This record gives sequence, C-alpha cells and structure tokens, in this order.
Amino acid sequence: MNLTLPRFFLNEFRKRRKKSALITFALFWGTLSVLLLLAFGRGMTSQFRTSFSGLGENLIMISGGQTSKVHQGLPKGRRIRMVPTDVQYLKERIPEIAVIAPESYNGWPVSARGKEINRQVHGTTAEFAGLRTQIPQPGGRFLNPDDVAKGRKVAFIGWKVARDLFGTEDPVGQKIVVNRVPFTVVGVLQKKLQDSMYNGPDADQVYLPFSSFSQIDSQPYLDRIHIQPREIGLSMLVEERVRALLGRMYRFDSGDKYALSIWNTIENAKEAGAIFKGIEIFLGIMGALTLLIGAVGVTNLMYAIVRERTQEIGIKMAIGARRRVIVQQFILETLFIFLKGTFWGFITAFNLVHLVRLIPISYEGFGIEAYLLRPVFSLEIFAIFLGIVGTLVFLSGIFPAVRASRLNPIEALRYE
Amino acid sequence: MIEFRGIKKVYHMGGHALEALRDVSLNISKGEFVSIMGPSGSGKSTLMNIIGCLDTPSEGEYYLEGRNVAGLTFDQLASIRNRMLGFVFQNFNLLPYATAWENVELPLLFNGKNAKKRRERVAELLKAVGLLDWKEHRPSELSGGEQQRVALARALANDPPIILADEPTGNLDSHSGEEIMSLLGKLWKDGRTIVMVTHDDRIAARSERTIRLFDGQVA
Repeated sequence: MNLTLPRFFLNEFRKRRKKSALITFALFWGTLSVLLLLAFGRGMTSQFRTSFSGLGENLIMISGGQTSKVHQGLPKGRRIRMVPTDVQYLKERIPEIAVIAPESYNGWPVSARGKEINRQVHGTTAEFAGLRTQIPQPGGRFLNPDDVAKGRKVAFIGWKVARDLFGTEDPVGQKIVVNRVPFTVVGVLQKKLQDSMYNGPDADQVYLPFSSFSQIDSQPYLDRIHIQPREIGLSMLVEERVRALLGRMYRFDSGDKYALSIWNTIENAKEAGAIFKGIEIFLGIMGALTLLIGAVGVTNLMYAIVRERTQEIGIKMAIGARRRVIVQQFILETLFIFLKGTFWGFITAFNLVHLVRLIPISYEGFGIEAYLLRPVFSLEIFAIFLGIVGTLVFLSGIFPAVRASRLNPIEALRYE
Repeated sequence: MIEFRGIKKVYHMGGHALEALRDVSLNISKGEFVSIMGPSGSGKSTLMNIIGCLDTPSEGEYYLEGRNVAGLTFDQLASIRNRMLGFVFQNFNLLPYATAWENVELPLLFNGKNAKKRRERVAELLKAVGLLDWKEHRPSELSGGEQQRVALARALANDPPIILADEPTGNLDSHSGEEIMSLLGKLWKDGRTIVMVTHDDRIAARSERTIRLFDGQVA
C-alpha cells in the first residue's frame, strides 16, 4: 500500500504531464533568471572589488607637493621634495604604521635581445610587493630584502614588458639592460585587474631594488612613500602624523593640503564599499521582486490545477480515499513539479555561468567584458532561493488541496 | 440493512433554507432491489447521496447495518464507501487520466489489497463486464456503455453488499442501458442489495419495490 499508492500517483502525474508543463516551465524560468541575475551581479561587484584593490589595499601614498600657505616667514609656492631617509624617520616616529616602502622612478630605455623599449623604471624595497599587490607569476619572485641590502642587479617586470621584450618565452633568469646597466629578471607580475594607477598600469613597469636604482639614477629625491596603517581606522591619524612630522622637517604648515600630495585609498575604498553594498542591495531587491512575480504566477497555476481536479478528488472520495491520500497526492505532485522545474533551472544556470567563465578576458585596458564575463555561482544563494520558492510553491499547492480534502464528497463531485 | 429515521436535509443558499428532505423514514432490507422515483427536485438524489455516505443529514438517524452513521469521522465513512457501498453514477465519474484497469484497481488500492490480489480481482471484474481486452483504454476511448461497465466493475471491486445506482442508464442508449440493467439484475440475484434512482418507469419496473418521493417526503 505504501509503495503502490505513490506509484499510482506518479503514474497519474506522468499522464497529466502536459497539464503541468506550463508550471514546470515557469519554475524552470524563474530559477534560471534569478540565479543568473544574482550570479552576474555578484561577479560584477567581485570583479569591481578585485580591480579596485589592483593598485593596493589599505594604502596611503605620499609624494611631494608645493606649499600654498606662508609659514614661519617662508613664502608660499615652495616645492617640497622628500628624500630616502624620510622613510626610516617616519617609521620610527609613527607606531601606527604597519608597512612602509619608498619608491622612485625614471623613464629609461629597457632592452633585451636587441629589442629596446622606453618604460618607467622604479626603485623600491621588498615591502612594496604586499603594499601594491605585486604577485609574481609561478616560477618567479618579487625583489627580496637581500636584493635591496646588497644592491643586486635584479629586476621584477610587468607582464606587458615581458611580452614586449621576450614574446612568449619565460624571461625569468634572462638579462635585460636598463639605462646601459644589465639586470637579471627574477620575476614577472601576474595578470591583474587594476582600475587606479599612476604612471600607467603595473603591467608596463620595471622594478629594481632601491639601492641598485639609486646607483643609476642621478637625482637625490624620493618620489613616493607607500604606507599601510596597522588598522583601516587609523588611516586618517597616520595621514595627520605624516603631515605634522614632515611639516616640521620641511617647514610647512601641517594644515597645508598642497605641501604634500597624499592619496589615501582607504578613504576611497570606504566610498567604493558603499557603492558595492548599494549594488548588492539593489540586485537583492531585483531578485526578490523577480521571485515575487514568479511566485505569484506559480501560486496561481498551482491553485488552478487543484481547482480543476476537485471533481477527481470527489470521485476518489466516493470510492473510498481517505483524506490523507488526497493530500498526499498533491504533496507528491507539487514535489515532482518543484524538483523538475528547479532542477533544470539550476543545471542550466550553473552551466551557463561556468560556460561564460570560460570566455577569456583581456587584462589590458578596461573592457566591459572583465566585469560581465566572470559571474559567480553561489550555492548559498541557490539554497536561500530553494527555501523561499519551495515554501511558496508548497503553500500554493497544499492549501487548496487541504481545502478540497475537507469538502463533502458530494460537493467535490459536483464542483465545476 | 438501511434504516432512515426522521432524516432531514436542509441546504442553505444565500440566506434561504431549502429543505431537500423533510422527515424521511424508510427501511431497505438486505437483498432488496429498490428503486427511488420522483420528479426532479423531489430530493431523490439527496436521499441517494445520504445513503451512500457522500453527504450527511441535517437531522435524523441513519443506521447502516445497525450502525449509526451520523457520528462517524471522514475516514470511517471513507472506509464504509470503500468496502460496503458500490456507486454507479449517471455520468460514470471515471478518472479521465487512468485506464480502465487502473480505475477498477483504485478502490482495491485504497483498501490496502496487495498487488497479486489486485491483479486477480481486476482481471476477474473486467472479464465479468466483458472489457478485459479494453483494459489499457482510457475513458475517453470507450463508449458510454463501456464506461458504465467499467464503473460497475469499479463499484464491485471490494465486493460490497450494497450497490447504489444514480440513474445508471440515464446517459446510455437503450441497448447499453439494457446491458447495465441485466448486470444489475445479476448482482441482485447474487444476493446484493440494490438501490437505484430513476425517472424511467420501465427501468423502475425491474425492481422489487419503488419508493416515490415528492417534495422531500416519501409519497
């Protein structure tokens, strides 16, 4: 009995398949569209986040400026230029600094194997890697503290520089000549999305140990200092301290915003974070509304199916069906329809997302495809979706069934 | 076997009370073949539905084999409908998506009979009504007479002592009607109690006794 009744129901369900095809399709379509909407939305914000942190995360960048205020009898318009020893000076006096790194650069010819190109060449330290998201491709490395301490003639190059000089060959271990001085390539930058930059994307840069760079560069000044505070919340404090300390050293008003040029990505990130949150909330609302429309449709169809079958319920009652049997059949049918629709919706959405992810995207320039072609499929969202839609479908299928099972057999039989 | 004592049935329709049955008392003994006649609106269908436990009386007592039906639950009534009563309706009331075989099998399934017993019983019943070769056909693929024979086979599935037929020949041509009537006659001869609603005097003449209803009362 327990085995055969469900089998009978399944059998009847199969024969009625055409009647429930529309509702199965509605469930399929609803599942597909909500999952795709959320997958593409998530992918977009996650790509935004990655490219936003392409420059570096929690980063404060300081470079020299020009005074705009008279200070201690000195006129305005004076040029402020930092020197390499300022790095150590700031690090010792500002305990809120977690990591600090110097950077100087110059445009020089860079050549290898008879090819010569002009690129920005930077001098920095090992800490720069973490500050500016400089991740080496497998088989290579960034500059290390030893390189800097010993003034080794080694270089870390962007992937476009590698491509321009070496084509498809692996540049690691090969020689390049920078401003007539030979350097050995120790690593190539991994491809990354980067939406903010100075002097062009990191893909086009060459990095040398600061000590080696200083040997071939004639200028005594430092172009930029990169600082990561111990905590995000400390960024404004660190900024203020830097202005105060350097203000005392170079004699400018610490309130003079133009004496130093400070790029605080943390403050920018807060803004961007709010935008991402906004996009996510928007997508969530869109998803919820789509779901609601779908649910109304499905509910309506389920209701119609049960109503249409009230007479059949009456016939079954007349030949001795118990209440439980009537309700059971609708629970099972609703389950079949629900599983069928959502299963195919899930499979289609899942495969579409993963197919789209296979499309290669270019890391050069900022093509729209970098944001659109990396949807993220989330099982967690699918689970929430199943919970909500499942509840709605079951309520819409079972309520009318329970109601019908409470009718007098004769009322059900005569129902039209 | 069937005993009505002061049965009333009142329908409430938008504020009016419509008395379909007013104070009906009757007795049908085991093995009787009774026809119920009366003009439309006289309450004969209501009477039939109450006998068949498809509907409940507003007042009065109904004893089925000595048991008062009034206090029973839905599932207890379902069990009575399943085992003690076999229905034949004017419009057949077969399940449209089920084959002839499945329509006959369903009451057995509701009664918890195992697969082997069901198979034997369904085959026996379909053979008895001469439709074993049509077992895979759906109602829409059968003639009216054939559908009514399937319905009769279904009514007999659990070998009920009482057959209730509500205008069983109403939708049939005379030849098919005759087939159904002779099947009913055979069932009666086998010792079953038959209660039949009809408005056709010739059909009613086949029964032993006719109960005439008029305005919700036994005339």
